[in-house]
Amino acid sequence: MAPVAKAAPPRSRPGFFNRPQNWAPYVFLSPYLILFLIFGAYPIIKSVSLSLYATNGPKDAVFIGFGNYRFLMGDADFRTAVWNTLVYTFWSVVLQLPASLGLALLLNQKWVRAREFFRLAFFSSNLLGQVFVGVLFSVLYQPQYGLFNKFLSGITNGGIPIDTKWLNDPNLVMPALVLTSLWMYAGFNMIYFLAALQAVDQDLYEAAQVDGANSVQQFFAVTLPGIRPVATFVLVTSTLGALQLFELPYLLLGNSAGPNNAGLTIVMYLFNNGFQSGDLGYASAIGWTLALGMLVISLIQVRLTGAAKGSAA
Amino acid sequence: MTITRGLVYALLLLFAVMALTPFVWLIAATLKSSGDIFTYTFFPPLFKGLTLSNYRDLFTQEPFFRYILNSVFVACAGVTIQLFLSSLAGYALAKYSFPGKKAFYLLMLGTLMIPGQVTLAPSYELLYKMGLVDTFTGLLIPGAVSVFGIFLFERALQQVPDELIHAARIDGCSEFRIYWNIVMPMVRPMVGAFCLLSFMGLWNSFLWPQVLLHSKERYTLPIALSQMVGIYTQQYGMLMAGTLVAVLPVIALFFLLQKEFVAGLTSGAVKG
Amino acid sequence: MKARPSYPFGPAALVLMVLAIISGIAIALTPPPKKNATLTFWTFAKPHYESYLKAVPAFEKAHPGVTVDLQLVANNGLAQRLQAAFQADLDVPDICEIEISSAGSFFRGPVKNIGFVDLTDRLKSEGLLDRMVESRFSPYTSRGRIFGLPHDVHPVMFAYRRDIMEKAGIDVNSIKTWDDFIRVGQKLTIPQKRYMLEMSSTGTDQLEAFLFQRDGGYFDAQGNLIFDNDVAAKTLQWYVPLVAKNSKTRIGNTLASSYGSVIAQGMLNDYFVCLVAPDWRTKGMEMDIAGIGGKMALMPLPAAVPGGRRTSTWGGTMLGITKHGQHQDLAWEFAKHLYLNDKDLAARFEGTNILPPVRSAWQEAPFKERRPYWSGQALGEKYAALAPDVPAQYSSPFISQAKSKLGEALIASVQYYERNGENGFDAFVRKTLKDRANEVRRQIARNPY
Repeated sequence: MAPVAKAAPPRSRPGFFNRPQNWAPYVFLSPYLILFLIFGAYPIIKSVSLSLYATNGPKDAVFIGFGNYRFLMGDADFRTAVWNTLVYTFWSVVLQLPASLGLALLLNQKWVRAREFFRLAFFSSNLLGQVFVGVLFSVLYQPQYGLFNKFLSGITNGGIPIDTKWLNDPNLVMPALVLTSLWMYAGFNMIYFLAALQAVDQDLYEAAQVDGANSVQQFFAVTLPGIRPVATFVLVTSTLGALQLFELPYLLLGNSAGPNNAGLTIVMYLFNNGFQSGDLGYASAIGWTLALGMLVISLIQVRLTGAAKGSAA
Repeated sequence: MTITRGLVYALLLLFAVMALTPFVWLIAATLKSSGDIFTYTFFPPLFKGLTLSNYRDLFTQEPFFRYILNSVFVACAGVTIQLFLSSLAGYALAKYSFPGKKAFYLLMLGTLMIPGQVTLAPSYELLYKMGLVDTFTGLLIPGAVSVFGIFLFERALQQVPDELIHAARIDGCSEFRIYWNIVMPMVRPMVGAFCLLSFMGLWNSFLWPQVLLHSKERYTLPIALSQMVGIYTQQYGMLMAGTLVAVLPVIALFFLLQKEFVAGLTSGAVKG
Repeated sequence: MKARPSYPFGPAALVLMVLAIISGIAIALTPPPKKNATLTFWTFAKPHYESYLKAVPAFEKAHPGVTVDLQLVANNGLAQRLQAAFQADLDVPDICEIEISSAGSFFRGPVKNIGFVDLTDRLKSEGLLDRMVESRFSPYTSRGRIFGLPHDVHPVMFAYRRDIMEKAGIDVNSIKTWDDFIRVGQKLTIPQKRYMLEMSSTGTDQLEAFLFQRDGGYFDAQGNLIFDNDVAAKTLQWYVPLVAKNSKTRIGNTLASSYGSVIAQGMLNDYFVCLVAPDWRTKGMEMDIAGIGGKMALMPLPAAVPGGRRTSTWGGTMLGITKHGQHQDLAWEFAKHLYLNDKDLAARFEGTNILPPVRSAWQEAPFKERRPYWSGQALGEKYAALAPDVPAQYSSPFISQAKSKLGEALIASVQYYERNGENGFDAFVRKTLKDRANEVRRQIARNPY
């Protein structure tokens, strides 16, 4: 090795290795970096190339260019999966956020007793994984004997027939999914809203009261602008979560996509293709399509809520 | 005023009942014989004929204890590793300035944008080539650092005063010791929140274990239960018992960490 | 600054770490039993598993030093795991039972790469083809080669509530054709309370059986997709009015599940008069719905045309030997021990009610035994009498896609009928079937292997 080259670096940064705080952050970040390079960067790059192959398990692959993407565009089942995922996402977000905010508003009343109990009660369903909720609700939704139908048919006096087949009727699978997710997640976002409500400046309420605003006006004038950052955060994360739906319908519908593929989601379709048929290439193409869709949707959301910021203030 | 209060309480109670009823039903279902499970909506009158046979079936017909053991190991080991590595990285980003810091932020933000399902297929292929398919190592290592966790800790650690760290350095504390002995004990709420979130994620994780694990003796609870649904279609009571046993540890951990969880989870988001 | 020996993440995190260490040690100390069994056998059906457990000791006794490890694996997981294991060279069992609708997926790719041992020559040289019901090999045959040994025949009958029929003054023997059956069905059906037959308007279990009865199906012997042919169109047109909501001729409905407590409760509450009953399903009824023993009986399916076939088929299982296995000849011996021994088959029939495809076994006493549960009928004889008529069904790697698309066609047709009735129904059914079939054909054309 040339002595000149060897001597140069230490002199250019004198004492770099003498001061631990110079190199410590790199050491602290190195596990992340190493794991990222192996299990993050490599698979990401690999999945781009894999999506250009027709594969049969990890061993066999035939290069087909953009064939997977072309096929995907005309794939009726993929269209169904995208549609179902979007419908689910729309309804679960539209119902969940107001429900979470409502629960948080109720709990935020200063004089409410047993607040810890209620918070735990509302939050508890979120502790269950989608797999477990899927197994549980597949029984609750049973026609004729399931708890859900007994209750609904009871309060509507048979208006909703007791033998309503929530999970066997292609038109009811989606409502059943949305209701289940409402039960699961309303309590989770409530925690965020509750914290946001408690952080709203109390002086603003007093000022509003002085101005003669009633509680509804206070809500729109003070509360909503105050919790907007959290609301945006909750909106975006809920949407992204909903777009990746898989386990809940998969378990609810007995390891299947349900009648008429009514419970087929994008990730389920990815899983079925990649790991049931062994077409890892097609699965990668589906994955990238999903990633692109998620990016576009969250950009739109941030844009819209950001635009709303200007007009509301 | 009293009417409003009454209304609020009524609504709170109503929603609490709605939230908790499935749990009550679940507990009742695990204690009823297969003949009674649909005969009585919840418990039979005077709790007649309740039985533990579903639990007995659960542990005798399936190696259910093994599944619990596997899940406990995967979740606890996973949390321990993630907690250490993520907080370490978060600390580096929060309290040091160094060349390349921006690049790390960009890298992490970029990976957060790409959903995990994109890399599902190539990751499986990679682990197959590394001989890690059907191993706990393969299950744990790719997720050993949580980018989400790094951000959580980076946020929380911003609030640790710099003077404290300087003082420790002057006292001759090593960089790692500062992180370990001084900084981490100051962000307990975030640690609690992260533990619970990470535990829930690992405990309930389905897709990756479903793809990676092949042998029954390595199944975690979600995988085992989803398989049991296929075998014991008739035995609802036993499936429900399995579900209840599988969710209890998370609920227990939540009770343990409830306060920290709420404080830690929301401290970052509210400051948004 | 004094170093404290404490764990910096607090007691809860400490507990988790300690638990990780303890459970890790526990797992390390109790390694899974070494795979020292000579043969590993996977099955997905609990009744099979339980009955094979009884057959193992005799085999182990006849082959000293040989051990067999039976494992029960869920069906959905089994197909996926075995597929992945074949593709990724992972550990696979020596012998494996595969459900009929998953079997085709293993026949993707060139014949030489199929993960199962080709049994054709063994079957021929040992004269086994002639001893068994021939049509049962068709689902496990790909490009002329046989990869699976059939476990069953699965003829289909109706299981009916004898007491309800008698109370209504109906002579079951007079029901010879579907027209007869539907006429009786309309009399006995009370909307929302009682239906003549368990028939799904969203799932294809019954539709498929009635399609097979009429010599229709998903694929023909050459592997061509045929569920949009004339037979299928006529069958669907006939089927839909029997299950559509507002139809005047509705006689069928379903509950959420055809099994377990749900169907049991339905039968106990007189919700159904008849169930489509392949042999394997009768065992489930005996066990789950013990309460209506003596009130149940069996009748052959009504014929589609006078003198037509009085049965069909539903379900099936094959046994395959994996190429991966070290002891393929021994595995073959074990397969024959399980599937071809008349005495054992007879004993197993008592436990499962499943009619084996080996004709000589049907002469054994248990097949002739009169069953009190079935109002004194000899269940084995009844099914055996229909076995020769059981229609063939043919396999394809795309069978599951075809099934799901036929299901979509069924649902679309039911919806159309509920809105428009007979108006333009024929054209709609044909177009829907054609469109769905073309979607499957598109998938088939895409497979480069």
